[in-house]
Amino acid sequence: MIAWYDTNIILIQSTFVGLLMALSLQVPIRFGVFSFAGIGCYGIGAYVAAIMTIRYEWPAAAAIGAGMLIAGVVGYLLALTVRRLGGLYLGMATIAFDLIVGVLAVNGGDLTGGPSGLFGALADVTTLHLVLISAVVIGLLAYSERGAIGRRVEAVREDPELAASMGIDVRRHRQAAFVISALLGACAGGLNVLLRTTIAPTDIGFSLVVLALTMIIVGGSRSWAGALIGAMIFTWLPGFLEFSGQWQKVIYGVIVALAAIWVPGGLLGMMTDAYRSWQRSRRDAGSGDGDRTPLGSRAEGTPA
Amino acid sequence: MFEIRDLHVSYGKVTAVRGVTLTARPGTVTLVLGANGAGKTTTLRSAAGLHKPDSGEVVLDGTAITGRPAHWIVKRGLVLVPEGRRVFAPLTVLENLRMGGYTTARGELAGILDRVFEMFPVLRERQDGPAGLLSGGEQQMLAFGRALMAQPKIMMLDEPSMGLAPTMVETVLGSIRAMADSGIGVLMVEQNAEAGLEVADDVAVVSRGEVVFSGTAKEAASHSLVLRAFLGDAALVTEN
Repeated sequence: MIAWYDTNIILIQSTFVGLLMALSLQVPIRFGVFSFAGIGCYGIGAYVAAIMTIRYEWPAAAAIGAGMLIAGVVGYLLALTVRRLGGLYLGMATIAFDLIVGVLAVNGGDLTGGPSGLFGALADVTTLHLVLISAVVIGLLAYSERGAIGRRVEAVREDPELAASMGIDVRRHRQAAFVISALLGACAGGLNVLLRTTIAPTDIGFSLVVLALTMIIVGGSRSWAGALIGAMIFTWLPGFLEFSGQWQKVIYGVIVALAAIWVPGGLLGMMTDAYRSWQRSRRDAGSGDGDRTPLGSRAEGTPA
Repeated sequence: MFEIRDLHVSYGKVTAVRGVTLTARPGTVTLVLGANGAGKTTTLRSAAGLHKPDSGEVVLDGTAITGRPAHWIVKRGLVLVPEGRRVFAPLTVLENLRMGGYTTARGELAGILDRVFEMFPVLRERQDGPAGLLSGGEQQMLAFGRALMAQPKIMMLDEPSMGLAPTMVETVLGSIRAMADSGIGVLMVEQNAEAGLEVADDVAVVSRGEVVFSGTAKEAASHSLVLRAFLGDAALVTEN
């Protein structure tokens, strides 16, 4: 076990970073906001953490926190800027934002190290930190997927106008989606740069948007568990596909296409469906009973 | 008391509403008639804060709410039930109702829920089932019930009878009357004039973005403009 951990430590750490990065795209999608800004914020978080560590020798937590703070503010300002955009246009605008972050990194002179990036961001981030942060994030997101908050988010996604007609402040929820996405992205970026000690503009390019999106499309976009499944698959898959050499990209493409066509709910959706039908068949066979999870304090014993 | 005064609304360069003035009083049903594209829905949406009007005033109990955000307006007691019986299909009936009570204090929810179930017993029976499995008429009642959960002073109903079976239309109209009788002011847009006139106290007719008639339901039933307003559709069809 320990030997396995030692040989695979990079992949294990990358899985958690990938999870946070995937979540930074998944959260806005759950709110019905088609934003890729989380990846730009990953870049912001990575560069700020690197600069703070290299130049000012800040401790890891402060360096990552600074990146998250700046990215959070940027995310909020971005939400205000693109508040009138929706759908495809919002997607394009936020991809443009990601590319702008890359351009700033290339042209940032000494501060960002230009095209070659920054080196030597040494800090004491360990796998345990990653696990703890991921656990806290998953806990909060899982909470936001249930009960009253979960229904509210669903309402904002499925029918924003109807949600507004029920007194829900849709604009505030969208802004929240941008800020949460920015914080998650920046956290992932900061953690990654302090683990790897380097960051370059090519690390935060368009391919990162594709990777994160691939994770949630194949894993499932409705729940944090989908992002986790996706992060695990696409962090470990390249190792298994090494034999395929240059065909690796093609195999990726085929997997994504198959997932989008055959399992639109992602692997998570597929597994939930399978679990439900298994439970149904068990119930039909006579054992077990109603499995609907009670939501809130439901008044039981309705008069017929 | 709810008033829309001289409201002008446009979508880009197209003017949809030119100077509409409407009033809804507590305890009464005000029916707004007019052909397709007359600007009825736009008027309601603008009053509800879903679309910014160019000019004019929307006043609820003496407070100007013109151009305020939709969620703020709901808290002031003006609730829109949009066209097409929009409910959250995968959620249960009870969950839909709870969402409607988003602006209501937690302690009051149970009491209001009881009153909604009293008014719409079918919702109590189906409360744990998904809203998507309700019939059209039941979904319309759920939409009403959801709006009631926000404790509105004024309800705006957009085409409540649209696409319903004739027997269901009667039931839905009956519940609209009951909601008004409980003290709520109802401002209802309908294309089905015959049905709407059955429960209305006051009537306004909108044509090409303007109010061309307003009066009591009795006056309306014998007025030529009103007759023309709901014969207009048929006339257009024969012309084409």
